[in-house]
Amino acid sequence: MTDTGYVLTAIALMALVTILLRALPFIAGHWLRRHPIVHKLGDSLPLSIMVLLLIDTAAGQARSHDGLPWQELAAVALVILLQWRTRQTLLSIAAGTALYVALRAL
Amino acid sequence: MPRPTSNPLSISSLTAPVAMGYVPLGAVFGFLFVQAGGSGWLALAASLLIYAGAAQFMMVPMLAAGLPVGAIVLATLVLNLRHVFYGLSLLNTLPASRWRRWYCIFALTDETYSVLTALPARERAPRMTLISALNQGWWVIGTALGAVLGAQAQVGLAGLDFVLASLFAVLAVEQWRARRDPLPIWIAAAAYAAGCILMPSQALAIAIALSLVAAALRPARTAPATGAAHD
Repeated sequence: MTDTGYVLTAIALMALVTILLRALPFIAGHWLRRHPIVHKLGDSLPLSIMVLLLIDTAAGQARSHDGLPWQELAAVALVILLQWRTRQTLLSIAAGTALYVALRAL
Repeated sequence: MPRPTSNPLSISSLTAPVAMGYVPLGAVFGFLFVQAGGSGWLALAASLLIYAGAAQFMMVPMLAAGLPVGAIVLATLVLNLRHVFYGLSLLNTLPASRWRRWYCIFALTDETYSVLTALPARERAPRMTLISALNQGWWVIGTALGAVLGAQAQVGLAGLDFVLASLFAVLAVEQWRARRDPLPIWIAAAAYAAGCILMPSQALAIAIALSLVAAALRPARTAPATGAAHD
């Protein structure tokens, strides 16, 4: 993290990948819309990927301490409940993270 | 007193809710980045050049662990894949000017996308650049604030990086709200279990590949997707 060249390279390439993904529908939108497989991927893949990233990140947190992952489960449940009810992203993230930090400090 | 305007949705009423989210979240990113040992100006560079919240939060632990740049780029690709499906619904509403158009494409985050789709179609193009720039402004200001705080404070709060898991949970809920289709959740759970059995160290990568194949092979949904991505 102290190697400026390494961090700058990562930032530059992440920026490139992100703008290419955001530009793709504008560059190849008509081609993409003609293909049913694109619709199927668009229907399924974003939710699958978010669930996978959620499981993987929470599992990674759970491996950093002993015992069962009940802190992770409680915090994720709170985030899901709040986001579903209120749609206040900041509230959901702040409350879930605060609960997790508090549970870990017990 | 509201100014007379043809549209009741003023720019400030559209961008103020985004500011409420982006300034604090940007501050958390700047804070975590600096606490992990990064320089404040690099956090700012990330918010100016990448401008993708989830990917930026994800990069902090990856950079701190010194992972190969290729792995970080691949993770960004997977995480931001959803943006491909956003742009499809805004295809014909971009500003005419080339620079403005490219800036708006660059700055098309989840929040900006939902603000723009809330506008009537003919109002989008003229207001898109200003809304996009204001939203990125909030994100950059937040990052700067967080980086300054992070350089001074020394907190040892175990679990503060849970903000990444919380963000993924929020994004999953919003994806669910748009489609209400439980199958992708079961696909993901089964794929992750398979990944853990096949190769625990690469469980996520295997699970993503399996989910991709499952999404491509599943029969098309009988009801047309109601999500905004295809209208």
